[in-house]
Order: sequence, then structure tokens, then C-alpha cells
Amino acid sequence: MLTIIFLSGFLLSLFLMVVAKRITALVKTFALQSLFLSLYALYVAVLQRHAELLIISGLIFILKVIIIPRVILRIKRRINVEEDLGLTLNTQVSLIVALFLMYFSYLFISRIISFSSGEAMQAVAFTVSFTAVFIGLFLMIFRQKALSQVVGLLVMENGTFLAALAITGGMPFLVEIAIFFDVFIFVLIIEILVYRINRLFTHIDTTKLTTLKG
Amino acid sequence: MEKFSYTGLFLFDGLSCFFLVVIALVSIPSAIFSIGYLSPCVSKIKFSLANILLVFFVFSMSMVVTSGNLFSFLVFWELMSLSSYFLVVFEHTHQRCVRAGTIYLVMTHMGTAFLIAAFAILYVHAGSFDFGAVKLAVLSMPQDMRNIVFLLLFIGFGTKAGVVPLHIWLPYAHPAAPAHVSSLMSGVMIKIAIYGMIRFFIMLLGVGPPWWGIVILVFGAASCLIGVIYALMDHDLKKLLAYHSVENIGIILLGLGIAMVFKGYPVTTIVLLGMSGALYHLVNHGLFKGLLFLCSGSVAKACGTLDIEKMGGLIKSMPVTAVCFLVGAMGISALPPLNGFVSEWLTFQAFFGALLSSQGGLKIFMLICVAVLALTSGLAAACFVKAFGITFLALPRSRAAQEAKESSLSMKVGMGILAVLVVLFGIGCGLIMPYICQVAQEVLGIENTLFSFNWFSLSLAPISPISISPIIFVFILAAVSLVLLAWFVLSPRKAVPCNTWDCGYYVLGARNEYTATAYSKPFRIAFSFFLLPYRKVEKIRDSFYHVRSFTYQTHTTKIFKQYFYDPLVGFTYNVAHKLRWLQPGSINLYISYIFIALTILILALVIL
Repeated sequence: MLTIIFLSGFLLSLFLMVVAKRITALVKTFALQSLFLSLYALYVAVLQRHAELLIISGLIFILKVIIIPRVILRIKRRINVEEDLGLTLNTQVSLIVALFLMYFSYLFISRIISFSSGEAMQAVAFTVSFTAVFIGLFLMIFRQKALSQVVGLLVMENGTFLAALAITGGMPFLVEIAIFFDVFIFVLIIEILVYRINRLFTHIDTTKLTTLKG
Repeated sequence: MEKFSYTGLFLFDGLSCFFLVVIALVSIPSAIFSIGYLSPCVSKIKFSLANILLVFFVFSMSMVVTSGNLFSFLVFWELMSLSSYFLVVFEHTHQRCVRAGTIYLVMTHMGTAFLIAAFAILYVHAGSFDFGAVKLAVLSMPQDMRNIVFLLLFIGFGTKAGVVPLHIWLPYAHPAAPAHVSSLMSGVMIKIAIYGMIRFFIMLLGVGPPWWGIVILVFGAASCLIGVIYALMDHDLKKLLAYHSVENIGIILLGLGIAMVFKGYPVTTIVLLGMSGALYHLVNHGLFKGLLFLCSGSVAKACGTLDIEKMGGLIKSMPVTAVCFLVGAMGISALPPLNGFVSEWLTFQAFFGALLSSQGGLKIFMLICVAVLALTSGLAAACFVKAFGITFLALPRSRAAQEAKESSLSMKVGMGILAVLVVLFGIGCGLIMPYICQVAQEVLGIENTLFSFNWFSLSLAPISPISISPIIFVFILAAVSLVLLAWFVLSPRKAVPCNTWDCGYYVLGARNEYTATAYSKPFRIAFSFFLLPYRKVEKIRDSFYHVRSFTYQTHTTKIFKQYFYDPLVGFTYNVAHKLRWLQPGSINLYISYIFIALTILILALVIL
């Protein structure tokens, strides 16, 4: 039952992201999503008596719920950019596309795992994680501000984490820690980069950054 | 003769150990040489960097030859290519070096791409990266597949070895690298490719149809002839040596090819002779080419140039370098009693044996190969007469050559070790041959006990019409020359200093000397159908009778560059230019490419 709540919370946050128009809303939804992920990891950890997963759940909470959203919001404040995300597709169309993406992942997953058997919960989790990966990509493609690319990538990362959690009960501890470190460093670097881009071009609109090609 | 198991990460069979010895023989003197060569002219940090890279380079080469599976072979192969690339661009402030490095990098990665393709095919069939599993799987592979693997591997290894149409990186990369690095690259690294050929063609693929051997013979013959012709035309000391590497790789390939063609024949002697000739020439070439490159570094350091037209008379100011160069030159020209003679003689013997036991078209082909090899040896000797004569003899042709100083102690030691080895491997061939023959036997998996090796004879098999005894030959020659020398020294002579007849000039100076360009002119004419020489003459006249200045330039057309690589590069650029619209610079679009690719893959999975 709890699994259903966490997963549907995760899924809901994905759709909230798709319809978000403001940067703050997007980032806060990401924090909410990570909270659900962290709770789900905690739940699995308690269920399976898995100490390492417990640590990872705590790490998700600290990093993705508290630190990373703050870092992103801080950079947003520092470069003093307006809230608008720059939607290439409006929210209604985005929502329809997101629904299709979910259906698409469902089709794909149903090829791999059967939804009817005892593994039904796993299949659902896997579908949600796939949807997350697709929607992460969707955010990266159809939102113009550079910060949304950052959030999109983080959403994809959340998706892969959820997939690993759903299928195998988490990746090896060392790998997991390495990925966390990676994501954290990634956000820090991106913070500097976005700041630099803004200084150089006075905007962070990726559709206008087309002069970088060789 | 499966003495060693093929499973495991590392492999220490006869062939691997043989190559480890070759690596050690060349890299140790080169490392000693580098102390005196590099440290005075670069900063401490750069010197340490060069040493680190050198260690990486030598380490990766050693690991390639001891790798027991495809995967680690490939990893260390790449490490070897990359560390040598960084050594080539060591003097990165020169545009020339960076450009040479780029050509090298492109060529070597192209070769690696072919290797990866071949390894992938082998892996798919074997289901494992282990050499042992590959060896088993090859037996059940279809013949077409084996042919494809052979061709892929030949192109891949041939690029590294510098086999003829793929040789273009050598004359760029070797002159750009520091001398001790070129000595390692030319002396050892290109041999690692030969190791790959022996390991894969003979030991793993198990010698396929005879045309594999024929392919190797054809490319070997082309390499040695074309290499030496280009070497004759080039007056840059290191470029000349680089072309000689192409030539010598050709000679090694000739030995290898003979072994592969005649693997199925009942007369094992030919196969064994060819193989041991190839292996012996491989170590020999490592020694004398390493030596010659070190000498060229020493000369370049003293004169500040590599153009031999600006040298001359260095034998007086740099006697040690001159003697070492002479030893190396005699070795590479295959003059007895030095080492080059022994290995080329072995290869010739293999060809003679092959001539006797083959029929029809094969016989004619073998005859052509022998002729090519003989011509190559002659031209190589001519080329080194040029290289040594113009560089070290007569009068200095430039101020720098006039003021040249002998190089430092560590450089002399580095060159000296190799020079001594060149002599030892020639005179002591009877003692070295058993080991090489053992390696060859292990590689080929044949037993031949009909060997007698000692100081005086290298008889391989009494029953065959072949018996070789170069040392006896050598001693005869040595005795004759000793008698001549004694007569020359002991005969009473009176030295009368006087001027040479100088054709009416007042002073005979350096400008009257024979030049390298002039020396190579007959060859330029003889091979004009291939070299396509052209010249530019500029005269500035005061009047019809008085020419104030006269400029003469002659160049040869590098046909492979002009008719193969340039069109290829042009084509690639054209296609890339036409596909430019794919890359408009929008990040969102790039991400959507990824998305589309992912979607199509998943859709394919869903539908299928």
C-alpha cells in the first residue's frame, strides 16, 4: 500500500513538472519528487532489512531534497533571471505528450515484465521510472532556460535510481555513492557554468546559444 | 607444441618473452641516451614528464605482448598509441610536431578501429576474450569469416607497422619525436604490430589459405622496395631513417609471408627459415634502427638541423657518433659480419628453398620476391653510403656543422651499447640462433631436431639442399679485408700534400662537394616512373653570359599522398560539409536527437 502511495506521488510530481511554468515551481517539485524517492528507498530498506539502502535513503534526502534545490534556487537568485521557464510547448500539449510517454513506457515494460503476476508492483515501479527518464528528456528538449536542462537531467537520474531500486533493490553501494557524488559535483559545476553563461550572454536561454558549434 | 595454456590474463610463452627481450634491448639504451639528450634543453618538469611518458610507453608495449586476452591487448595497444602520441608532440611549440602528431593519431586510430572490428567478430564467435577460447572458436568459424578477420587485422596491424599504402604517418611522426622516442617507436613499437600479426595470423587463426601468405608477401615486397626508394630521395636524416623502417618492416613481412605460404608443405625447413629470418630481422632492426635514430639525435643536437645537405665533416668533431652511425649503417645495409646480414641471409635462404619446392606461378612470384629483396638490399646500401658520406665525411657545409661538438657521455653510452649489440648479434649469430629457432618452432608448432648451431655453421637440415654458414663466409671476408688492411698499413708510403686538381677554380671549398641531391639523381632518374620528379630552376642574369644567382629545386611526387590520401580527406570533408545542417548548435535539438534514437530503439523492440 505504501509503495503505491510513494510511486503515485512520484508520478504525480512528474506531471506537475511538465505543467510547471516557473523555475521555482519546477525546482520545488523536484524536491518533492526526491522526497518520495527517499521515502520509497527508506521503505524498501526497512522491508528488506538493508542497512546500506538506509544510508542511501538518507543521502537522497540530504542531497536531493535539501542541498541541490537550494543550490539551484541560489543560482537563480544570483543571476537574477525571471521566473519564466520558456515553454516551447504549452502546458496542455505537454501534458498530453507526457501521458503518451507514460503509455509508451507501459507498452515497453509490459514486453519485459508481466503486469498480472506477482511482480506487478515491480512492473509499475519500472514503468514509473521509465516515464521519469522520458519526462526528464522531455523537459530538456522543450524548455528553454538552461536550468531546466539541469533539472531534466536530475529527473532522469531519479528515474534510473528508481529503476534500480525496483528491479534489484538498489545498485551496489559503492556505485550508488559514486553516482551521488557525481550528481552533486554535476550540480555544482552547472551552477558555475550557468553563472558564466549568464555573465557572457546576459541570458540563459538555450535556444539562443547556437553559436558554439564549430 | 602447446606448452603454455592460453587462459588467464597474462601470457608468457616463447613469443612474448622474445618480444620482451627486444623491448628491453632497445629501450634501456634509449633511456640512457635520453638523459644527456633531453635534460640540458628542457625544464625539470618537462624532463620528468617525458620520463613518465616514456615509462608508460615501454610499460604498455610490454603489456601488449604479454596480454592473454583480446580485451587487455586492445587496452594496452591504445595506451601504447596514446603515450607515443604525447611523446611525438612533446615539442608542442612547433607547429610541425603538432601536425605530425595529428596525422599519427588519425592513422593509428583508424588502424585500431579495424582491430576492434576484427576483435568483435572473434569475440562474437568465441563468446570470450581469452586467446584460448578464440583459438578454439576459430576452428569452427566459416572460412569467409576468417578471411574477413584476416583482412581487418592485416589493415589494423599494417597501419601500425607502416606497411606501404598505410605508411604515411612514419615520415611525419619519427622526425617530430625526440630521438630516443623515435628510436623506440621505430625500433620497437612498429614491431609490436608484427607481434600482433604473428600471434593472430599464425598462432590463433592458424594460417589460412595460401593467399593470406601471398598477400603478406606482396605488401612486404612493395613496402621494402618503395620504402627504400623514398629513403634514397629524402635528405632529412630522420625521415630517411623512417622510410628505412618501412623497408625493414617489408623484409620482416617477407620472412613471415614465406612461413605462412609454406606452412602446409612437407618441407618444414623453409617455414622455419622464413620465420626465424623474420624474427631475427625484427630484433636486428630494433637494434640498428634504434642506434641510427640515437645517432641522428646526437647529430641533430650538435648541428641544430636534420638536413644532411647542411652537415658534413662531422667524423672529425664527433668521432664516437660517426663510428656508431657507421656500425648501424653497415648493419642495416646487411654487410657481413654485422647482424643485418645474418637475418637477410636467412630470409634469402628461405626464398631459395621456396624456389626449389614450388611450381608454376608461385615459382615466378617467389623469383620476383627474391629480386625485390636483392634490389632493396642494394639500394639500402646505396642510401647509407649517402647518409654516412654526406653527413660525416668531407668538409662541413654549414657554420653549425663546423662548430659541432661531440655529444655527452650518457648519449655516447646509449649509442655504444646498441653498436656493440649490433656487432654481437652479427658475429654471435650461431649462439643466438638456437633461441630464435626455438621461438619460431613454438610459434609454428613444428619440431625440427635437425639443427646444428655453433660458431661456424647454421645448418638447418642436412637433408635439404639448404645449408647456411654465414660465419665461415664472414671469416673469409674478415680475413681478406684484414690482409688488405695489413698490406695497406704496412706498405711503405710517403705522404705528399698537394692540391687536388680543381677544374680551374682557385679554392676547393664545401660548396664544391658532392651533395645528397646530386648523389641520388641516378636513382631519381631510374625510378622516375614511380617518383614523378619535378624541378624548379630560377636564374637571375646580368646578361646572357653572366648568371648572378641560380636556384635549383627538385622534388618528387608522393603518389600515395597525392592520389590516395588527399582525395580521401577531401571526400570526407565534402561529406562532412554536406551534413553540416544536422548540427545547428541548439542544445534542445541535440537532446531530441538522443530522444528520437532512444524512442526508435524501444519502438523497434516493442514492435519486433
